This record gives sequence, structure tokens and C-alpha cells, in this order.
Amino acid sequence: MIRNKYVLYFFRIIVGGVFIWAGVLKIIDPLGFAQSIANYRLFPAWMAFFMALVIPWIELICGVLLILGLFPRTSSFVLSLFLFAFIVLIWTAILRGLNIDCGCFGSFSRKVDYSLLLVDGILFVMSTLLFLSSGRKEV
Amino acid sequence: MRIRNLLYETALILLASVLLGFGSHIPLIKRYFQGEFRYGFISLEKHPLMVYITLPEAEELFQGGRSIFIDSRTEDAYNEGHIVGAVNIPYEKFNEFFRDTIFPLEQTLVVYCDGTECKSSTAVAKLLYERGFRNIKIFFGGWAEWIANSLPVSEGNDTK
Repeated sequence: MIRNKYVLYFFRIIVGGVFIWAGVLKIIDPLGFAQSIANYRLFPAWMAFFMALVIPWIELICGVLLILGLFPRTSSFVLSLFLFAFIVLIWTAILRGLNIDCGCFGSFSRKVDYSLLLVDGILFVMSTLLFLSSGRKEV
Repeated sequence: MRIRNLLYETALILLASVLLGFGSHIPLIKRYFQGEFRYGFISLEKHPLMVYITLPEAEELFQGGRSIFIDSRTEDAYNEGHIVGAVNIPYEKFNEFFRDTIFPLEQTLVVYCDGTECKSSTAVAKLLYERGFRNIKIFFGGWAEWIANSLPVSEGNDTK
């Protein structure tokens, strides 16, 4: 695994920063995010509503923890799970031909497409490497 | 042991998020339990003139003949069948289809999609609101409820 602390620190800033940004934007506009979840047409309305209240806080908390280096194993684990879920969701949306906003960054969201899949894929790799590298001695 | 710690800390983060998420949006949760947001997530504070309507209300507007029905489903679904006179503006191609339609801003618009489980009618209604329309109604029973009650439908594109 990666043991260079500067590389790991860079990954933490990137992944943590993205999730703090994403979390804050969604906390500000919970109804917009609920609608974005609903647009994927996979969850009933009540579930989209409650997911929209809780998910942004998980993103924000894990992003902050990751950047501060607190519980890095758990925060990178949770964010890796999230990114994996996002990739599956975006992929299924593309396969179903849905032309929707991803809902990733509140009103700054972009359309679901393969480039978004690539971005999430890179973040997933970074986050997973952070998870696998955490708890090991950094050099 | 490490896995147990991981799960324990994950549960703590989840719990904190639930508390913060619910705690920071208490007024919104209250509104939810008062019946708002069941069919879509429009904030009535932001969109005060946008309302959800039932089948009898939609039928009344239809019979009145002064409202324009907007079908927010896909082109294929629309061509297979739609409410008589409805104009197709699929959410996915809003800009493209909206360009071809000219309604006065004070026009009453009734937006519908497949039924209660679809979301495109709400999404299209929001986009219409952003374009300046203020008299927008969302018929949440949609196409499913309309045909279940054997109300007038037509096929193809009867608006061109």
C-alpha cells in the first residue's frame, strides 16, 4: 500500500474537501437534494426525503474527520462505500438512459455521464487506498 | 476486533448524522408529517403558486378547456398515448422541447407524468416556474390515473 505520507495527505485533502463541499451544499438545500435522489427513480419519495436529511451530514462529518486525520480508517471506509454506491447509481442511470442531474453538489450539480463516473472512480480509488493504508506506519 | 471497531465507529457517525440531519431540519420534518412533500419536493414557500391537484380537479380544468396540459414523459410514451391536447415537454429534453412551445406566462399549466411514483412532472413544473410561469398545477395521479378512469386520450402528436 501507499506509505508516502505526502501522497496520503494529498488524497485526504482531495477526498475530504470534495465531501465537505458536497455535504454543505446539500445541507443548505435538502429539498433540492431529495428531488435529485427521487430523479433516479429507485427510491420511494419518503425514503428520498429522509436520505436527503441524513446523507449530507455523513458526507460532511466524514470529510472533516478525514482531513483532520481523526478516525481515518472509518471515515475513508464510509466514503469509499458512498463512492461505490454513487458509481453504481450513476452507471444504472446512464444505462437506463436517464438524463438527470447527479445531485452531487446541490445546485452546482452536473449531468450524469461517463466523465462523472470517471471522477467518482478516481475518488473511489483514492478513498480506498486511504482506507487500506490507514493503520499502517507512514514513512 | 478491528472490524468491530470499524462498525462501531461507522454506527456512531451514522447516529451523529441522523441527529444533526433531523435536528437541523425540524420545521421541514414537521411539514413532511403534515402531508407536504409526499409527491414531490417543491418548497411551497419558494413556489407559492405551484400546487398538486387530484384527478377531479384535473378533469375540471380539462373540461374547462382553458388550461394547457403538459406531458413530461418521454417522446415514445407520449406518442403511444396522452391526454387529449397535451403538449409533450420531456424533463430530459426540456430545453429542446420548451423552445418550440409558446404560452403566455399567465397561462394555467397542468403538468403530469406516469403517475404518483414518477418525478418528472415536479421537475418540469420547477423548470417552468423558473421560466416565469406562476400558475402551475401538478396532476400527481398522472397518466395512470387518467386512463384508469377512461378519460379522453389521443395518440401521436396532436399538437403540431
